[in-house]
Amino acid sequence: MTKLQHNIARANILAKLKQQVAGADYTKLPIETPYHYPEIEREQQISQFITHLTNNHAQVIKTTQAALAEQVADILNTLKIENLLYGKDSTYSQEIEQLNPTVKLQAFDFTLEDKKEHLFNNTPASITSSHASIAATGCIVLWPSKNEPRTMSLIPPVHIVIVDANDLYSDFASLVKAQQWQNKLPTNVLLISGPSKTADIQQTLAYGAHGPEKLFVLLLNS
Amino acid sequence: MSAHQVTPNESKYAASARNFRNNVARDLNNAELRENFHGAMHYLRDKRSAAFPQQDELETLREQCKLIKQRCLAKLPYLLEQLEENLTSNGIKVHWAESTSQANDIIATLIEEKSGSQVVKGKSMVSEETALNDFLEQRNIECLESDMGEYIVQLAKEHPSHIIMPAIHQNKKQVADLFKQNISDFSYTTDVDELINVGRNILRDKFCQADVGVTGVNFAVAETGTLCLVENEGNGQMCTTVPPLHIAITGIEKVVEMLDDVPPLLSLLTRSATGQIMSTYFNMISHPRQIGEKDGAQEVHLVLLDNGRSQAFADEELRQTLQCIRCGACMNHCPVYTRIGGHAYGTVYPGPIGQIVSPHMLGLEPTKDLPTASSLCGACGEVCPVKIPIPKLLLRLRQESVKKQDGNSQVMKGEGVGRSNIEAMVWKAWAGVHRHSSIYNFSMWWLTRLRKLMPSKLGVWTSVRTAPKPAAKTLHERVKKHQSSGAK
Repeated sequence: MTKLQHNIARANILAKLKQQVAGADYTKLPIETPYHYPEIEREQQISQFITHLTNNHAQVIKTTQAALAEQVADILNTLKIENLLYGKDSTYSQEIEQLNPTVKLQAFDFTLEDKKEHLFNNTPASITSSHASIAATGCIVLWPSKNEPRTMSLIPPVHIVIVDANDLYSDFASLVKAQQWQNKLPTNVLLISGPSKTADIQQTLAYGAHGPEKLFVLLLNS
Repeated sequence: MSAHQVTPNESKYAASARNFRNNVARDLNNAELRENFHGAMHYLRDKRSAAFPQQDELETLREQCKLIKQRCLAKLPYLLEQLEENLTSNGIKVHWAESTSQANDIIATLIEEKSGSQVVKGKSMVSEETALNDFLEQRNIECLESDMGEYIVQLAKEHPSHIIMPAIHQNKKQVADLFKQNISDFSYTTDVDELINVGRNILRDKFCQADVGVTGVNFAVAETGTLCLVENEGNGQMCTTVPPLHIAITGIEKVVEMLDDVPPLLSLLTRSATGQIMSTYFNMISHPRQIGEKDGAQEVHLVLLDNGRSQAFADEELRQTLQCIRCGACMNHCPVYTRIGGHAYGTVYPGPIGQIVSPHMLGLEPTKDLPTASSLCGACGEVCPVKIPIPKLLLRLRQESVKKQDGNSQVMKGEGVGRSNIEAMVWKAWAGVHRHSSIYNFSMWWLTRLRKLMPSKLGVWTSVRTAPKPAAKTLHERVKKHQSSGAK
């Protein structure tokens, strides 16, 4: 389609729509009343968060920052995984680096194109931090970055994510509001509520459809 | 290129919609298909119901989301401009298409400019609407569906029978048979985990090799220039993150004004669709890969498609059709859909939402029978998360399809196409009889006296029902008799 045809399509669509709303008074729109969810205690929020994730087949492990390396080593040991993809200079990289040399650490210090096949075929597990989390729906919120790119939570079959309970919000709406997301959004935001799944064959749930088969949530609760 | 040019693909859907009555007869006689739908609808209805334990929460959210969508539609042209401006300044390119063929041309050109030959596609009903797969195939571009259900449907050379669960019409044995026919080293199994794993391995290779990812969009946020995608499998993220080029396609009605509009809509969408309080993934894309970032598509495009939506927009009542957030709850609760299944409709969108949206996309000529396929039980309207009065719109479309052409401006393409002079005369006579009591009484007296002459076969009506038989005496006569006997 040429640029001219493109402009014609755009102009036609907008003209048809504008003709219908000409003179509309947007100051007189009806009030949209949201539902007010009862406020719940912090401990209840944490247990809500854990319950939802667990119901969705994620494994939530309560731990501390000091015990992170040990927990990760345990998980990898149980799964007989020796390699771990992590982000250099990320929030918990110092703790993760303590895993050396028992675990072969691989930093995501390359571009996707350079090691695409390696990421798909030879990267059994990854570990990332998280931006926030949501109690009402049991979600982990990722703001992938240069240090922790977005494929880290997508391509390896096992994803371990570290969640600081101080960053737990009651629901999605209050998170967006509190952090004023409309002012600045990164390239990509991800909400994750469990390992990848599908019920596309005869409504039977199967995990690990395309993304991670296993999701471990290390919950730091001081 | 004219806006109303009929492409071979448009006529494919039109032809099958025109064949609606035969499709229904065919699918009602398929016991396996009926069992598959019966089980699936039951499952989805139970899941949805469990996801809304509090009626007041559900009703408050429905009202709120209806008003959000109505506000966004009231401002639609301005929001589309704002969306374009913000996406553009974020580095995402915006394209406009009035027809499905324009949309396909745009996408093919974008792919060919990058010498792309392998496309992976996330679930997108709008790309089904444009029949993108067929179009790209003709241009020697492989376009592989990557949602598990869509992948199955593509292998079977079918189209989705449900907008959320595309392969709902197949059971696991049918899927296993399909894999056996199409996948060379498949060792036969009907175990769902193993079947999914087979699909996973094939598709992960494809994600790794693909040069283009195509997806739909659930919400496009004007305020921030953000494309939001809801999914469970991770294939949507694969399509938006791994290939260097990401092309999203969506209908013009998917734009929302503010980021704050997203959380309530998302909450209703996932719960109404599959009964999940939240989908596994919610992906919000605001930029292509930025300097220093190590992954993500380097180029992102959005194609905005009209395809009859502006026609629905032009009428205040029919505009409500565009409130739809494509959750599929209406079909899950529809007694007709549950029995005839999704393919009988012949259109891309089946079930109640398909019955009200397809006439705008294809015109009323091929789709005039669709609005009649409803008992008007009202279930679709009651479960609709954005309160679209679907039964009322079905009635409106029935009227549009038999409307008398009076030379006034046209509301819908193909309006009046189902008008029959005999039917119109019968109703005119019926109205006349009911307006004049003497004629009414006279006719009723004769009708009751001649009841024995009532034929027992009345065409289609008596193919599944017994013929009605007038009473021996009219109601008026019986009331009169009752009153006189009571007076004694």
